[in-house]
Amino acid sequence: MSVWVYSESEGISDEVASAALDISEPTSAGPSVIDIGQVRDGTHSAGDKLVLKGPPSTEPPPQVAAEAIFRAAKELRPASILIGATRNGREVASRLAAKLRVGCLSDAFKVSCDGQNLFAERNVYAGKVVAMVTCPLPSIATVKVGAYPRLGSTPKETREVDVGQIDSQVRVLRREKKVVGSVDLKSARVIVSAGRGVKKREDLAMLADLAKEMQGALGCSRPLSSDLGWLPEEHHIGLTGVTVKPDLYLAVGISGQLQHVAGMKDSKIVAAINTDKDAPIFQASDYGIVGDLYQVIPAIRRAFTSRG
Amino acid sequence: MRFAVCVKHAIDETELRIDSSGKPQLDGAAGKMSTFDKNAVEEALRLRSAQSGEVVAFTVGGPDARKTLKEALAMGADRGVIISADLLATDTLRTAELLAAAITKTGPYDVILCSEGSSDTYDGQVPPMLGELLGLPYAGYSRKIEVVGGSAKIERSLEDSVEAVESSLPLVASVVSEINEPRYPTLIQIMQSSMKPVEELNGEQLVQQGTHKQSSVVSMVAQTSSRKHVMIEGSPDEAASKLVEALVKEGVLPK
Amino acid sequence: MAIYSPEHRRLIKVFHPQKHDEYSEVLSSLSSFMEKEILPNSSKFDSGELSIKGPRKALLQHGMCQIPFPSEYGGLGLPFSVYANAIELLGTADASIALSVEIHNAVSEGLYRYGNDGQKKEFLPDLLSGKSLASFALTEPASGSDAGTMATVAERKGGEYSISGSKMFITNAGEADLYLVFANTPKGPSCFLVESPNRGMKFGDDLKKLGMRGSRTSEVIFSDCRVPAGNLVGEEGKGADYAKEILHGARIVVAALNVGISQLAYDEALRYAKQRRAFGKSISEFQLIRAKIADMKTEINAGRLLYFYASSIKESGGDFSSEASQAKVFATEMSLRVCDQAIQIYGGYGYTSDELHRHWRDARLLTIGEGTSEVLRMLIAKRELARTP
Repeated sequence: MSVWVYSESEGISDEVASAALDISEPTSAGPSVIDIGQVRDGTHSAGDKLVLKGPPSTEPPPQVAAEAIFRAAKELRPASILIGATRNGREVASRLAAKLRVGCLSDAFKVSCDGQNLFAERNVYAGKVVAMVTCPLPSIATVKVGAYPRLGSTPKETREVDVGQIDSQVRVLRREKKVVGSVDLKSARVIVSAGRGVKKREDLAMLADLAKEMQGALGCSRPLSSDLGWLPEEHHIGLTGVTVKPDLYLAVGISGQLQHVAGMKDSKIVAAINTDKDAPIFQASDYGIVGDLYQVIPAIRRAFTSRG
Repeated sequence: MRFAVCVKHAIDETELRIDSSGKPQLDGAAGKMSTFDKNAVEEALRLRSAQSGEVVAFTVGGPDARKTLKEALAMGADRGVIISADLLATDTLRTAELLAAAITKTGPYDVILCSEGSSDTYDGQVPPMLGELLGLPYAGYSRKIEVVGGSAKIERSLEDSVEAVESSLPLVASVVSEINEPRYPTLIQIMQSSMKPVEELNGEQLVQQGTHKQSSVVSMVAQTSSRKHVMIEGSPDEAASKLVEALVKEGVLPK
Repeated sequence: MAIYSPEHRRLIKVFHPQKHDEYSEVLSSLSSFMEKEILPNSSKFDSGELSIKGPRKALLQHGMCQIPFPSEYGGLGLPFSVYANAIELLGTADASIALSVEIHNAVSEGLYRYGNDGQKKEFLPDLLSGKSLASFALTEPASGSDAGTMATVAERKGGEYSISGSKMFITNAGEADLYLVFANTPKGPSCFLVESPNRGMKFGDDLKKLGMRGSRTSEVIFSDCRVPAGNLVGEEGKGADYAKEILHGARIVVAALNVGISQLAYDEALRYAKQRRAFGKSISEFQLIRAKIADMKTEINAGRLLYFYASSIKESGGDFSSEASQAKVFATEMSLRVCDQAIQIYGGYGYTSDELHRHWRDARLLTIGEGTSEVLRMLIAKRELARTP
């Protein structure tokens, strides 16, 4: 059974390439990894590389990527296409599903296949429930970022398909990195995360310092980035923000709404500090301290510096 | 100008009950307007006040979904369109097909807005599918929309970058929640919303079943928490020392 | 968790089988507003860390006080029981704001019932939409519910009245824009509108209270406070009757407020009982705790039904004074029992945490305010004896 893999990001393409191994039959030639424009040296494949020639850029707008894959798929008829569930990746997958008139599964952290149907395991209802969803082949799924390890295999061969020229209906005027030296929450081993319990923007410094001492990064819940604008959006951990799984997640003054927990529930150890003993965050924590963060955080810094 | 905004009557995840076998009880579960859809309605209202014109709210669902439509009307939408369908048996592509057909039938519209994804299943598929099915330019994850004359300038919020794009109208866009702060309808607006016109379209007649093989749910099971739930007591200093000690034992603190 | 629960929904359906959907929508919108803007900060209002002014204004602008008034003054024209239920929800979200809003709306009710057309048109729309805040000034340092003996006087001087005297324990004092003031004239107690600021009206220090600490309470001092003669509400000499009537309605609302406080204390205690463990099991498995839960729940529902019942008599135009008093006596005393049991379930935490004993402290006011339990029992008994041949 032929499985295609695509992500505009090279690292995520390698993750999706691992996921594809779960559904491609061992006897087959292996999944095909799509590069658009020209071969990307940074992507790997356990099968071959499928290079879609035509679009000039290796990271084309989602509309162009979707049309390029559609043109190739019309001809080569893959049984399944897996796409990295980034914001642009979701658009590529949805457009492809609409073009091919096939179903599309979302945000799979595990994919499987019985030869007739594609299956995906995913979180729904803000992480309260795990659903197994399915769609008859041929079908599409997006794969949750960070769910699979990155594949390192070298492709066996490279095929080229000319898909012709494709235009995007929206014109990209410019693209700017969100913040220079932006946080890398995804790879941080320790995350100190701030919530509504922090009273003033200046007080974030105390938490940033603690994060630094613990060689970690500073995250936050949605109100701090979206409503108050105290931290850039990249710090926002949750359903609509970043999903993280550090060794230690220290939730400080975070009430623990489902939407927030959805973004950190895979952390190895969660510790929470909150004045409200009934805050839902304690239900999602290994260790909890009911107390004033303005007293507890300095105490933790002292205890941490003088630890044995 | 005419603005369309799509809203979902989503299962309220905060009220969702789990039965003793660990399954969520979807039958009769409480519903609400999908949280982020309020931002889409707000943005449509904001654009209307800058441009003048009409906002029409669309929803796909059963009789219950009227509540969500009514909420959009209470917030300020002028008219509502409900497309009857069993939402739990309608996949993203069929939802997009139904919305596209209803939008075409009642159109034309200059801007068609959705939120980035619904608060219950958060697929985020319907908005780009709508763009695709309607053959219109599409801008996903918009955090700023400016309509000037016949075109729009939009800032798209991606994971690590912001992309400024330009597009002609009509246009389909999805918005992220940081784009605005949705208003609360006042009680008077809620009561007056019953007077606003709502058109009902029959989903089966609008789009024939069977355009594609639909995706569906096989099973659902509640997420089980295997957290330790240890509450540490004592003065701030005592509690902090105990916590740090425990975290060192867990091996999650840097040496 | 939604403050407006399926249980509330069911009760509205029982009392209003025709239009319950519409009423429930209004109440559940209020509930979501309170859950987001008020409830999360209620302990900060109690501690004084945050002021209730902003959220109270936002709540009034949302339309809370429009509920029971006709549309010609900007009201929603909904039944009184829907308003009383809204106050119950607000009592759960924050008792101090509920108290302040209840007093504010009692003035609107008085103005609506006894004001002339001009007064209603001038003041009601702003009061209902939250543009202005009102205060009810009846009680005096030396006289409480006994309106006949008030020492504050109003003297007619040409086209004006001059008011002198002092009013005590006045909620919203110093914050309100409009005061409904009761003062004696040669014809007896009369009722006046005093707009703030007025050179002749001053306020004492904010009184330190056991509970309801988010709301402001102080003395209001009048010395030659001049108001236009047109600010007389109704007729001279009828003030005591007006006050009595206004208070009857307010008592239903106060009963609802205390049911709201009780509901929150109960919900929190129940949650705690389920998770707190002793002797190897959840304390909710012990029969003595279960008895408490059963009694608390039963009493709360009884209180709720009493205020709904009194409301429905008011709605139908009947004499509801005895039922309103019954609802208030029962609900306010009930809430002390429920909040006390909640503290008992919490044990040491209940006694030492502001957030837990706040409910009892808040509830404690209302067996005193707006008619003490003792005075109301007298009223109920008098009414019952008069009914029996």
